[in-house]
Amino acid sequence: MARQVKLQAEQLRVLRGGREVLSGVSFEVAGGEVYGLLGGNGAGKSTTLSTFLGFLPASGGRVIVNTRDVGSDVAAARRAMAYLPEAASMYEHLDARENLHYFLQLVGVGRGESEIDAALDRVSLAGEARGIKLRGYSKGMRQKVAIALAILRDTDILLLDEPTSGLDPTAIDEFHDLVRGLADAGKAILMVTHDVYGACQVADRIGLLRGGKLVDQFAAPAGGRIETETVHRAFSAKTNP
Amino acid sequence: MKRVLVIAAAEWRYWLRSRLAQGGALLITALLVATTVLTTLRMQSETAERTQHQAKAETAFLTQPDRHPHRMVHYGHYVFRTPAPLALFDPGLDPVTGQSIFLEGHRQNTAMFAASGASADLGGLSWLSPAMVYQLFAPLLVILLGHGLVAREREAATLATLLAQGTPGRVVLAGKALALLSFVVVLLLPLALGAGFAVLNGEQLLAAGALMIAYLLYLVIWGALALLASAFIRNRAAVLATLATLWIALTLVLPAVAVSSAANAAPMAGKLEDDLAMLTELRKLGDGHNANDPAFAQLRADLLAKHGVQRVEDLPVNLRGVVAQASEQKLTDTLNSYAGARMAAETRQAAALSVYGWLTPLLAVAEASRAVSGTDLTHHHRFLREAEDLRYAFVQGLNQIHAEKLAYADDIRRSSDPAAERRTRVDAANWQLLERFRFQPDAAGSRLQQARPQWLMLGVWSTLLMMAGFWLGGRLKP
Repeated sequence: MARQVKLQAEQLRVLRGGREVLSGVSFEVAGGEVYGLLGGNGAGKSTTLSTFLGFLPASGGRVIVNTRDVGSDVAAARRAMAYLPEAASMYEHLDARENLHYFLQLVGVGRGESEIDAALDRVSLAGEARGIKLRGYSKGMRQKVAIALAILRDTDILLLDEPTSGLDPTAIDEFHDLVRGLADAGKAILMVTHDVYGACQVADRIGLLRGGKLVDQFAAPAGGRIETETVHRAFSAKTNP
Repeated sequence: MKRVLVIAAAEWRYWLRSRLAQGGALLITALLVATTVLTTLRMQSETAERTQHQAKAETAFLTQPDRHPHRMVHYGHYVFRTPAPLALFDPGLDPVTGQSIFLEGHRQNTAMFAASGASADLGGLSWLSPAMVYQLFAPLLVILLGHGLVAREREAATLATLLAQGTPGRVVLAGKALALLSFVVVLLLPLALGAGFAVLNGEQLLAAGALMIAYLLYLVIWGALALLASAFIRNRAAVLATLATLWIALTLVLPAVAVSSAANAAPMAGKLEDDLAMLTELRKLGDGHNANDPAFAQLRADLLAKHGVQRVEDLPVNLRGVVAQASEQKLTDTLNSYAGARMAAETRQAAALSVYGWLTPLLAVAEASRAVSGTDLTHHHRFLREAEDLRYAFVQGLNQIHAEKLAYADDIRRSSDPAAERRTRVDAANWQLLERFRFQPDAAGSRLQQARPQWLMLGVWSTLLMMAGFWLGGRLKP
């Protein structure tokens, strides 16, 4: 059975300060799929995420979330997605549970302590860390709390912005396992990154952005992974011509 | 609405955990306690001084022995203005204009006994009242807490998380605004206590409530400015720098410019110039102590004709007393015309100054505060007018006794004839004509009405800033 498309960019074009930062970008992400949007600095990865989130308007083309144009109902699009910025952005003066309670209250999702603890168990955040304010957390621990929030919100779509940047290898592996698990549970995940290895580890498909254009796409073979060497070669060639 | 409350509660949690709210509240409380104590001590000292002087002046006047009435005209009397209960919070113009006047014949003295009589107060620092703390320093605390409301979240990227999960920008701003509004309400608690104390001391509830609303609007304006800057400017340090600059401009620079500009827009002659011009005019009126002054020849002729007699000794009234009455009346008309012109010029300057309330809410709230507290220019002018009415009535009352109870023949010989001098002394019971002076502030409704332009200014400021917040909330970006 064909998987339902959750995110779609159609001939997306974005102008910023009179400069075209995205030009005719088209791709889609279905439920149960991790799509890695790969590119160097300034390639337009974060801009793509910003248009899906409605933070930036599309100058041409359109972005679609759950079959609806983001421009027509930004609030509905945002409610359908969980977003993890590069620096997992939560409140440093609150502990993990307080952060989760706060964000859940704002989206009107009621979750009990046991559900919150279950989500934190699922992201493997140690029990003793849960009562510590986030200012004492490592970046990996913060990412776990942010993922726990996405789990608790139970949205169909996850947008990840450079999620493994600055994480140690163990934390990266743990994070990839989490992402993979969420995709296997049916979530559509769009992950923008410049980490070729990480993208190949976790993504079902990869799109390569350069200068605001989608210049290549790679798909994992059935039951396998995208070959890192191939993508790396393409990435290096494209980013360092 | 629930989300707005959740965001406001979260902001309070941040303030409490970062000790910002406690620090701010402690600072303002310390300032208010200090200024309230200083103002109370100053006012108590003034009240004691005033009561003592008033009692002494009354006793001295009323216990004067039998005398010639014109000696009592020159003996004079003090009147004192008792400050309105809310003057404890906002002494307004009182420390500058003084609260007592020496009343005597042929002169209109200026108010005196200003509070800063002590040479130790060279810089006028004792004028730092609770009202000034609210006008100058409370906005700083609002800025301290408000500047980071959105900018902090933007820098920590939590704003991105909030917006990305579907929390509307307007809800975020409304929650932040509610938190700041509740802090403003906390800041106003000392004022509420002071207003309550004033009500217990006879102030009308309407005036006390209006004073609180004036400062609520004023601090809401500062809160809105802080929130808008925090939402509009991306960098927190830049927000703080912008708000600090705005505070300097709106509370220090613009009021000073406004005062100078108002003085130029409605210029007033200096007191020396006024006094010289007035003296020249007064000299033309004749000497009221001399019944033979040519300036009163017509009066004498009319009086003789009216009573059908040839000699002033045959008149049923004492010509000297009648001349004193006529002289005092003409002199008072001239004095009043100068006083009226001066008050009109002061009123024009005040009106020119008040227009600047459209540019800085400090001037709007300061004027509203003085009006509601009964310590503004209008009350000062009324005090001067009422004191003058009393002066005129008591001088003319004595002149009437002079005219009706003293024989002219005795009056002209009293310097050379001890028996005649004794007969020109009137009974000391006549000194009781001096009425007890009681100055009451206008009714609360009139005071509020007086500050109508300022209410409008504060209302327009608040409304425009809230509209700007609503507009900006719809465009809030991480």
